[in-house]
Amino acid sequence: MTNVLIVASVPPPQPAILTDALERFKAKGASVSVACFANVEDMSVDPALAEVRGFAVAPEAITGRLRDALRRAPQNRRMWLHARRDGWLRRRAAEADVLVALDARAVHTVWELAQRNTRASACHGLVPALKEFDARRTPTPGTVLERQVAATASIGARGARRLAVRAAKTTLKKATGQKVVANPAGAWLWTRAVSAPRIPDGLRSRLTLRVYGSAVRAGRPATAARASAAAIGRIKDPQTRADLLTKQAQTELGLGRVPAGLHDAITAQLDLADLRLRKRDPKKAAFALSNAFSLASNRVLHFDRLSSPLTDDPAGYLAPFRDSVAAKKLAEPRGRATPAAPIPTDRPMRLLLTTLINDNFLREIRERYEAMPNVEVRFLDLDDDPAGRVLARSGSSVFEHILSGRSAYGDKIEQWLRPHLDWADTVFIDWCQATAALFTLHDPGTARIIVRLHSFEAFNFWPHLVDFSRVDDVVFVSDHLRDLSTAVLPQLTGEAAPRLWVVDNAMDLQRYPRPKPAEARFNLGLVGVGSVAKDPRWAIEVLRRLRRHDERYQLLLIGSDLNARTSAAAKQYANQLQRDLDELEPSGAVQRRGQTDDVPGALTEVGVILSSSVRESFHCGLVEGAASGAVPIVRDWPFFAGKPHGARTLFPADWVVADPDEAAERILAATATEESWRETGRAASEHALKTWDWSITQHDFDRLLLDGPA
Amino acid sequence: MSGPLPANDRQPLMKKAFASLPWTRPRGGERPHVIYLAIGFPPAAKSCAYRMRETANQFCALGWDVTVITICDEAWEREYGLDHTLSESVDPRVNVVKLPLIRQDLETDIRAFSESRALNPGGWISELRKREQKVFPEPVFGGWRFALEKAIVKVHRDHPADLLVTSCAPYVNLAATWKLWEEHKVPYVIDFRDGWSVDVIGGGEAFARESVSGRWESRVLEQAIAVWCVNDPIAGFYRDRYPHLADRVHVVRNGYDEDSLPAISGRAPDPAAGLTFGYLGSVNFPPDFLDAVLTGWRIARAEDPLLARSRFEVRGHIGAGPMREANRHMDLLKAAAPDNVTFGGPVPKSSLAATYGSWDALVLMLVGGRFVTSGKVYEFMATGLPIVSAHDVDHDASNVLAGHPLWTGAVGLEPQRLALSFIEAGRMAVKATEADRAEARTLARRFARPAVLAPAVRHLAELVRPGTGTPGAAVQPATASTGDSRP
Repeated sequence: MTNVLIVASVPPPQPAILTDALERFKAKGASVSVACFANVEDMSVDPALAEVRGFAVAPEAITGRLRDALRRAPQNRRMWLHARRDGWLRRRAAEADVLVALDARAVHTVWELAQRNTRASACHGLVPALKEFDARRTPTPGTVLERQVAATASIGARGARRLAVRAAKTTLKKATGQKVVANPAGAWLWTRAVSAPRIPDGLRSRLTLRVYGSAVRAGRPATAARASAAAIGRIKDPQTRADLLTKQAQTELGLGRVPAGLHDAITAQLDLADLRLRKRDPKKAAFALSNAFSLASNRVLHFDRLSSPLTDDPAGYLAPFRDSVAAKKLAEPRGRATPAAPIPTDRPMRLLLTTLINDNFLREIRERYEAMPNVEVRFLDLDDDPAGRVLARSGSSVFEHILSGRSAYGDKIEQWLRPHLDWADTVFIDWCQATAALFTLHDPGTARIIVRLHSFEAFNFWPHLVDFSRVDDVVFVSDHLRDLSTAVLPQLTGEAAPRLWVVDNAMDLQRYPRPKPAEARFNLGLVGVGSVAKDPRWAIEVLRRLRRHDERYQLLLIGSDLNARTSAAAKQYANQLQRDLDELEPSGAVQRRGQTDDVPGALTEVGVILSSSVRESFHCGLVEGAASGAVPIVRDWPFFAGKPHGARTLFPADWVVADPDEAAERILAATATEESWRETGRAASEHALKTWDWSITQHDFDRLLLDGPA
Repeated sequence: MSGPLPANDRQPLMKKAFASLPWTRPRGGERPHVIYLAIGFPPAAKSCAYRMRETANQFCALGWDVTVITICDEAWEREYGLDHTLSESVDPRVNVVKLPLIRQDLETDIRAFSESRALNPGGWISELRKREQKVFPEPVFGGWRFALEKAIVKVHRDHPADLLVTSCAPYVNLAATWKLWEEHKVPYVIDFRDGWSVDVIGGGEAFARESVSGRWESRVLEQAIAVWCVNDPIAGFYRDRYPHLADRVHVVRNGYDEDSLPAISGRAPDPAAGLTFGYLGSVNFPPDFLDAVLTGWRIARAEDPLLARSRFEVRGHIGAGPMREANRHMDLLKAAAPDNVTFGGPVPKSSLAATYGSWDALVLMLVGGRFVTSGKVYEFMATGLPIVSAHDVDHDASNVLAGHPLWTGAVGLEPQRLALSFIEAGRMAVKATEADRAEARTLARRFARPAVLAPAVRHLAELVRPGTGTPGAAVQPATASTGDSRP
């Protein structure tokens, strides 16, 4: 009797093929056992064909030692750590003449079993195993002995090596840990160690990163900077240097901090990109360039803190990009062969509304133009196409395509989007991100291209991948976003630049005015608190000041809780907010109302609507609150305060305040009596409806979309 | 790598000028010698083996010494397998040099694995691919470059060659070709078959001229005395890509072998017992493709009583290495067993005629479009059996099959339409007369392998060693469609 042991990590995706092979083994007189690591109950094997058993150690039986070993082991070795503890599997392996790995993950376990059963053949795959079975000859005693000696020596040597490596790693880890690096002697020692001569670049880089991380975590940024500077001076390879600086920056970003060496890391990646481009390697140049942009647009820097280096000084922040040949190549206008065609008069205008996932701001626009007989509307969400979805999310491929001039990726985009460009007279692209980059990757033909930039995109890399020489019109939702965007993207200014528009968001505000109960007078409301940029702690500061005068004031937080999972910086802010809430929620001073689909209903309880954000493009939630009759109080958004445009130019002067003290004063005055509160709210509602309701702003969209290219 | 030829070597490639070029001068010796770099030469059970065998035999027939360089049999055992019957009709004068080059990624003996490979088989192969592509920009085969270069130079030193014929794929052969040119200025021909920089499946360009692959291709083609392609669209692509080489690009189609064909007379399909439809070839198309054909077959059986009694037999190779006959295709075929679909594995060359002879109609499953002409289309055509086309409408096979009296036409891959083709082929199989079959075979006759390759080989022989082609034959470039000499 010939014994066959088949080892699988999971039940095979083609069970019929396994069944077929088992039948063939049986017909040849073999006794087959099948050992499966996971989901053994899904192995639908006829017991007459093979004995099937699982061999994973039950969770409750996993000892501390095994858990440690599993944690340290590479993924596929973990299966072997389970297998070696299973008596049934060991017996079957010892008896086997043919050992078979059914899938790639099972190969290592079979490899280990074959080291212990030196008589058996060991195959990957069922058909090779069947062939081996047919051709099998008993190995000579000499061969078996040779295998035995080699395997025993190998098992012993590997065990010893593994122990030695583990001991060395543990020692090094402790020696470069926070405690040692925080000690002046330790810091001195490691700073010299990382800059010692004749250390290979790769090793120096890994060691420096370890020391850097420990120093930063230990609160010793100066030690980290000294060690880094000492090591960087010794690293010759530009790739290793850029990688080290980037990883150092990422370490600090991971801790929620603005990296001290951010500028150096970005510059090193850009230098590397330029070097690769000079060496005609656009793929690697694109990779380095994409690293530089990823660092520069990391959310910790712009979204999860209360300030952004980009808005503080756009020109200074982006200066390294302005000096980089590779980055400049991204911005080079590739142009179009023909200008956009005039709007047709002999048939309805074909309007393509397109986005990637987020169509929140398109509903009113879509409904209006779908109802017009002289407009034919199509809607395209790039995320709806399963094949295209992957293409749409591949920013690195866009970098590579632009630097190369041509690519297979570009061909696929052309094939995908060309029919849409051929159909449309006008393409309205909402959000200046992947959709805009992909639609301008190739000449759009005679279609007119309109791109709307809301807010977050200005901090992101996508607008840098948009060829604005192929865009006819760029729409912003406020003047201050236009100012920021033109500072970030010089392509938006100058003679060849697209036309720039400021058109308010489309909002149906008629739904919001509803009667408010008298007690709503003391209720402050904040709609949307999901991100750090909303800075709900500012609103809490306002509340604290008000409650010193009158404890009837309350703060209602409407919307999902702050998302603390985005970064350590967001987590830090969320922890501070939670401390505030722990103090104020029990008394009811702050009340979280959670997510609601009925915002107009929720706003009936709100007497004063706040905009506490550090950054907004428009703040629909505030305007909806004002339309509801709540008294609007808008913080002079710090990202734009003191600049030509911002909250003060967007809203009436008496809505905007500089700080929590002024906000409290304004609220106390407006809510002094029920009459003054209602009158102030009524005036705000009237202004909101007269200025921003869709019945008014739709005419701006008509001018943009129906009047055609100027 | 050397630069371009000196100015006095860059003469226009007019046919009369060939004889005066230094690199076309005879190398001496009584009998001319051709080195044929043909990885896939018999006994490899690959479709290209037939073309290679015929090419070598044709050179022998013209009195040339032929040295074929290929890889060892063990390598093919891991991949497509061996068919020793293919070697039986190789001219015994052909000298075959088999290099010990084996695809490591297809190794299935786990005892041969290092620990790092056992721990991460996929990662190990990815690293292997990276290493291979550093040597030559071709995954899987790039790592063979230096061994091929060394072997070809050694063969030439042992027996100086007048001509090198390089058959691609693999494209790493181009590196060896260039090496021999650089060191010994041996003139060469590239039998590009399906081309390299052309994306035969998707259409268009597979890589840019400025890429590493693009630079290799243009450098090697620059000095080639001829470039062969298997169809007009591919030849057109190369003529457009390299306009100054247009005169050197020739179409040398694949063809069929007479000994693969079943007898025409005596066939009598039995409608009462049902028919047998057959597919023969590698199952290398996407699973969805196979699924569409099997769905079409299922629909046809539901709609037509004759097909409900019939069976569909698939023969050929499925998968390689650990995935041999263990992939989604096999799953689909097994799931189709209730519809009388069977898979019977590969067919040795010696059994081809009998296999075709046991079938009543053929199913031509082909991927790609206008750039693809699979060799099997000629063989299918010459069997004289009805053919169901399962491929794009705009496929080069449609051009080849145009006029075939027992062809159902190309309808694309929509199962409902394929079902109609199956039904139509069934009807044709029952009604076809011996005259119909003979007409189909006559139509295919121009694609008989000798008819295609003999004039092409004669052309090369005359280019390099005038007078070594068939006595009296004028040196004429091959025609665009058949490889026959131009009138």
